[in-house]
Amino acid sequence: MLALELVAQGLVQGSIYALIALGLTLVYGLLRILHVAHAALFTLGAYVGVMVYNATGNLPLAFALAMVVAGLAGVATFRLAYQPILSQPPFVALIASIGLYIAAEETFRVVFGASGLSFATPPLQGQVALFGGIQFKTAELMVMLGTALIIAALGWLQTRTRVGVACQATVSDPQMAESFGISLRKVRDINFFVGSALAGFAGVWVALLNNLVEPTMGSVPSYKALAIIVLGGLGSVRGTLAAALVLGVVEAFGTIYLGKLLDRNAIAFAFLILVLMLRPQGLFATR
Amino acid sequence: MLELQQLSCGYAAFQAVHELSLTLRPGTITGLLGANGAGKSSTLMCVAGHVARQAGHILFDGQDIGTLPATERVRRGISISPEGRRLFKDLSVEDNLRVGGVIHPARHFVRDRDRVLALFPRLGERLHSLAGNLSGGEQQMLAIGRALMARPRLIMIDELSLGLMPKVIDLCYQALRQLRSEGITVLLVEQNTERALAVADDICVLESGRTVWSGRAEDARNDPSLSAAYLGLH
Repeated sequence: MLALELVAQGLVQGSIYALIALGLTLVYGLLRILHVAHAALFTLGAYVGVMVYNATGNLPLAFALAMVVAGLAGVATFRLAYQPILSQPPFVALIASIGLYIAAEETFRVVFGASGLSFATPPLQGQVALFGGIQFKTAELMVMLGTALIIAALGWLQTRTRVGVACQATVSDPQMAESFGISLRKVRDINFFVGSALAGFAGVWVALLNNLVEPTMGSVPSYKALAIIVLGGLGSVRGTLAAALVLGVVEAFGTIYLGKLLDRNAIAFAFLILVLMLRPQGLFATR
Repeated sequence: MLELQQLSCGYAAFQAVHELSLTLRPGTITGLLGANGAGKSSTLMCVAGHVARQAGHILFDGQDIGTLPATERVRRGISISPEGRRLFKDLSVEDNLRVGGVIHPARHFVRDRDRVLALFPRLGERLHSLAGNLSGGEQQMLAIGRALMARPRLIMIDELSLGLMPKVIDLCYQALRQLRSEGITVLLVEQNTERALAVADDICVLESGRTVWSGRAEDARNDPSLSAAYLGLH
């Protein structure tokens, strides 16, 4: 029973990781940039979600606005921070990205205060019992459901629409994609928008689960998401999803069985280091 | 059609092609011949918009397209089957064709695809296979088919016969003749000189980035000094 409950808790956490890491994978696949500042969009989405919900009491609207604002901020990040330095070696963009993330954290602190924001009356806090007695918060169930739906929708868009196929072609061979008339700029804009909107979506869920939004909430997920995309075999969407869920479950079990020795994040990173020592190409590398 | 005037191109400090002048006659096949490293592929990639033009002009329908981005050149009617084929390996055959025709409205896709499949029926049997899993011959057919999806007036094909079985080469050359009969102009880069001489209308021979011979293919066939010196024929 406990095992089942831990798996369930792990999948909840894994869903959040998956949403954040997907955006990183999209960016890495397209530009070979490790986009650390991605986590700032996760935090931004969380702030927007809480503020919109507190102002209107409309949760779907809070999600929608959080995704749009994070998505647009992602496109702006690409155009203003990365586009001008694309011809430089990748570490230049990495440094810019780290700087941008720190600047964003400080901006959140200055604008919204160091103590963070909470929901006035947090929604989806009811308890539901499933599978013969495992207790879930409604929000926990919804985050798994929402993640599954949104990832299925993205998979459909990517394989069944012309825009999706064009994006895949661009990842595979940008120059040839251009040769057939695909605008790299548009593909990059689309990818940053979608990836950042997913991060914003994840941010609102974390706000709901913790009932707290604070300036530094992105830092640990940021490092974990970077490690997850490495685990998943850099650039592989399926690998990223699997690695995110595996890490969520490992963390859940580790917290119970190793919790006296190590804290939650230490367990996660110990696991990542261990895996990368044994399989440096990632858990699910195809090539 | 396409006219290159004193075209020089290359990568950064390296100049691959020097003052190449070449005029393609509409509805013909022009063979661009020469040894490895003679500048043939660079010429094609420069016309496609991927290798920087350093001097000279690229005229298409009388307009200089030398400064247009690659995305615009394909819309003017130039498409390429590049060196190494460069298929989208993790996409299906059908999706590769879809990307090839992405500048045209989606409702034309089925019609354009079926035209390619009529030319290369083999691709119809592999429609849902990943491009990376095709045989060499099928990959070459797909590279040409993908380029045709753009409905080009000029198609540039690099190393048509490289690494292919003779039977497949026959099939591809048959397709070239078919395209020519439909009025499409072909610029063909080939190492297999005999094959190129047999099908081409015009020939241009490059050596170290410079033109050493150009003219009608029949004259090239009858010029023993040319055959011996540059084309490795005896």
